[in-house]
Amino acid sequence: MNILQQLINGLVLGSGYALIAIGWTVLLGAARLVNFAHGQLYMLGAFVAWAVMTKLGVNYFLAVPIAVVALGLLGVGLQGLMLRPVMQQNLTSLMIVTLGFGYVFQGGAARLFGGDPERFVSPLQAAEIRIGEIWFTWQDVLTLVGTLLLFGALWLVLNRTRVGAVVRSVAEDPRLAQLFGINAALVYIGVFVFECAAVALGAGLVAPRSPILTSMGFDEVILTFVVVVLGGIGSVTGSLVAGFGLGLFTALFGALVSSAYTTAAAFFVLLAFLVLRPRGLAAR
Amino acid sequence: MTVHRLATSVALLLAALAYFVPAVAGGSPVAYAACTTIAILAVMSYGADLILSYLGEVSLGHTIFWAAGGYAAALLSVNAGWSGLPTAAAAVVVAIVLAVALGLATLRTREFVFSLVTYAAAVVAMEIAFNWSFLGGSDGIVGIPPLTIAVGSWRLSASGNDQLWPIAWVVLMATLLFIHRFRHSRLGTSALMVQMNPDLATALGIDARKVRLGVFVASAPISALAGWLYAYQRAYVGPDMFETYFLVLMLTAIVIVGRRLLLGPLIGTALIIVQQTFFSIGGDGDKIVLGSVLAAILLLWPRGLVGLWTVLASRPRVHGR
Amino acid sequence: MTIDLEATGLSVRYGGNVAVDGVDLAVPTGRMVGMVGANGAGKSTLINALAGWSRGTPVVRGTVRLGGASMDGLSPHRRAAQGLVLVPEGKGIFSELTVMENLALVRPPADTTGRHLFSMEEIHELFPRLAERRHHKGGMLSGGERQMVAVSRALRAAPRVLLLDEPSAGLAPRLVYELLETMRKLVDRGLSLLLVEQNVRATLELVDELYLLERGKVVARGPAAAMKNDPRILEAYLGSLTA
Repeated sequence: MNILQQLINGLVLGSGYALIAIGWTVLLGAARLVNFAHGQLYMLGAFVAWAVMTKLGVNYFLAVPIAVVALGLLGVGLQGLMLRPVMQQNLTSLMIVTLGFGYVFQGGAARLFGGDPERFVSPLQAAEIRIGEIWFTWQDVLTLVGTLLLFGALWLVLNRTRVGAVVRSVAEDPRLAQLFGINAALVYIGVFVFECAAVALGAGLVAPRSPILTSMGFDEVILTFVVVVLGGIGSVTGSLVAGFGLGLFTALFGALVSSAYTTAAAFFVLLAFLVLRPRGLAAR
Repeated sequence: MTVHRLATSVALLLAALAYFVPAVAGGSPVAYAACTTIAILAVMSYGADLILSYLGEVSLGHTIFWAAGGYAAALLSVNAGWSGLPTAAAAVVVAIVLAVALGLATLRTREFVFSLVTYAAAVVAMEIAFNWSFLGGSDGIVGIPPLTIAVGSWRLSASGNDQLWPIAWVVLMATLLFIHRFRHSRLGTSALMVQMNPDLATALGIDARKVRLGVFVASAPISALAGWLYAYQRAYVGPDMFETYFLVLMLTAIVIVGRRLLLGPLIGTALIIVQQTFFSIGGDGDKIVLGSVLAAILLLWPRGLVGLWTVLASRPRVHGR
Repeated sequence: MTIDLEATGLSVRYGGNVAVDGVDLAVPTGRMVGMVGANGAGKSTLINALAGWSRGTPVVRGTVRLGGASMDGLSPHRRAAQGLVLVPEGKGIFSELTVMENLALVRPPADTTGRHLFSMEEIHELFPRLAERRHHKGGMLSGGERQMVAVSRALRAAPRVLLLDEPSAGLAPRLVYELLETMRKLVDRGLSLLLVEQNVRATLELVDELYLLERGKVVARGPAAAMKNDPRILEAYLGSLTA
């Protein structure tokens, strides 16, 4: 067992986790909205890109941006539907609503794309790099670099621009923000669109690792949840650190203990965290 | 007093009438299957209803108790040859043990954190069921014998839906009675108070955590008993009992008619199963229908069809002004 | 005399409770109008309804006009954009944002006709402390400093009419007087201002016109000088305070 190889696998996995989770982190921080359709949005992102590639013959590097835009547009529609309960912060209802949306996506995607596993192929997946015992693909490099760039850009926007200040103000107190002339509804839509687009990007970069199925998405929700909670709700830097931490944990756990129970193990890490630091979660 | 007595008589009459629904609906195997399934899934929904309607939280982990009931029945009847009543008792015990563990772990979580942890627990439970050979792994457990209930020298053995229906009916009526009692119990009223006015509840000396744990533990055996019966109905259990289908069905059944209504989840389940049995547009199409109904109800008429009814009923008065 | 802000038949209900009941009110250009009344008289509910704002879900009836344009049905951020700017009671700024970020959230309008735009220099002149504190987060400021930021942000929004809800709440008496004096200076420069206050004595010193609100209704109104001698004011507030 090559530990260095596992560490690299962990970093690659972790960047994927962080990338898939980032939209949710921002959404939860700014709108306190839990999107249970997150996993199905990931699935849709992968399938839209796949369909554009196989049916229209579009190149992978164009298909992923198309999926990002398509999911962003879907986000506008979804948030438009949910606007009233979001403005009233009726969080219990919203959770169930997003669960319903996820179920609709699952059924819809199965109708549209069929129920069989499909191969969503990135040309970089086959481009391997070997350094002695260690190997990884250019797709891994792309995922890692893409994640770091996105997190860096997001951090700058949130902390250094007026748009970021607007998002943070709505996160703190949407009603007060209205008195500052801020259209909170628009901010909610923007944040939701970001979440949908970000998870589509995550799917575009991460999903080519394995065959895609319209029934997938549950593991992504759990891992996203672990990342968001461990990183501290709404914290961008925290999510990145938690993503890498979780990635290293699952890589080592999968290699040293059991690969079938990695999600379960990640969940028990989360439970331990909840028991040890419940205040960290209850805050806000 | 007389009003109360009248209400009791009406309830008993309705319960007795409910028994004859499948016979009146033609007595065909399909009618018995639909009615038995409705009864089972309604009981399953009542477990989650206790949490959603009375605690105001969304438990996404009730598929665990539902599956636990099924697995308990399957393991003990197939491997140990237990009959119906002992397996039912085991299902209840297993559910209570799991609920205490999960309830304690989530005791201090609220809102979305509670929902997410229960959801995550369900996904993890599915992963365990899928991989652990003791639970049959991905194949599940097949060959569950007919449900036999023996009390003294009296014996009942039920295999087909027409034979299972009386048992399903008994379980459903017992559940309704339990929910009815719960609504008027100290625990039930405390739970509502904790949900509606936590400060007042605390001022009255109600320990919110105890109430939450109490309701959570009380709700688990209900879903477990449904799972127990479901195992006998299908003669098979497997990781598919953790499917989101059951979760979405529970939530939809609860919200479709309106929360905090005794018969709400039953009517909700009946509407859904009738659609899926007699007006199905294919498995994936039904998913779209179920998910859309769930989202649409909460977005358009958050109080359910009952809320819609009051809106419609008050409309003429608005026009009259 | 032109009227900048006018409300007619304004009523606010919360569930079954009538908090404000058929209030008529006018704020003339360049004048300072005070609104006093006991706790629970409906002062805050009224001033919030003018801004179309609330933390609850009230039912509002009646009309509000800003410089002749109807505000009815406009959301609070639209009203703020048109120059009807409210500084709410209590929490008026974001504690997670720095002073500069709080002030930069507001974007001054392109068209400032009939409105009073204050540059950052002018604001630092009015409240010199804010210049020192510009990189501090809102949560780290004192109550007085927070109130200064809240007022400053309202001024950066180029108000046509400024609505101030109990700016003195929780402030030391010396600060209250300073703040209200500053407000008076702004009014003398042409700003129209509606001030809701508990402190009747200080309010009477500064305002041009005074409304007395009781149980959601205007029970007395008039020029400040005349209201000073109104028996209801004397009895209810000044009398009890001097006794």
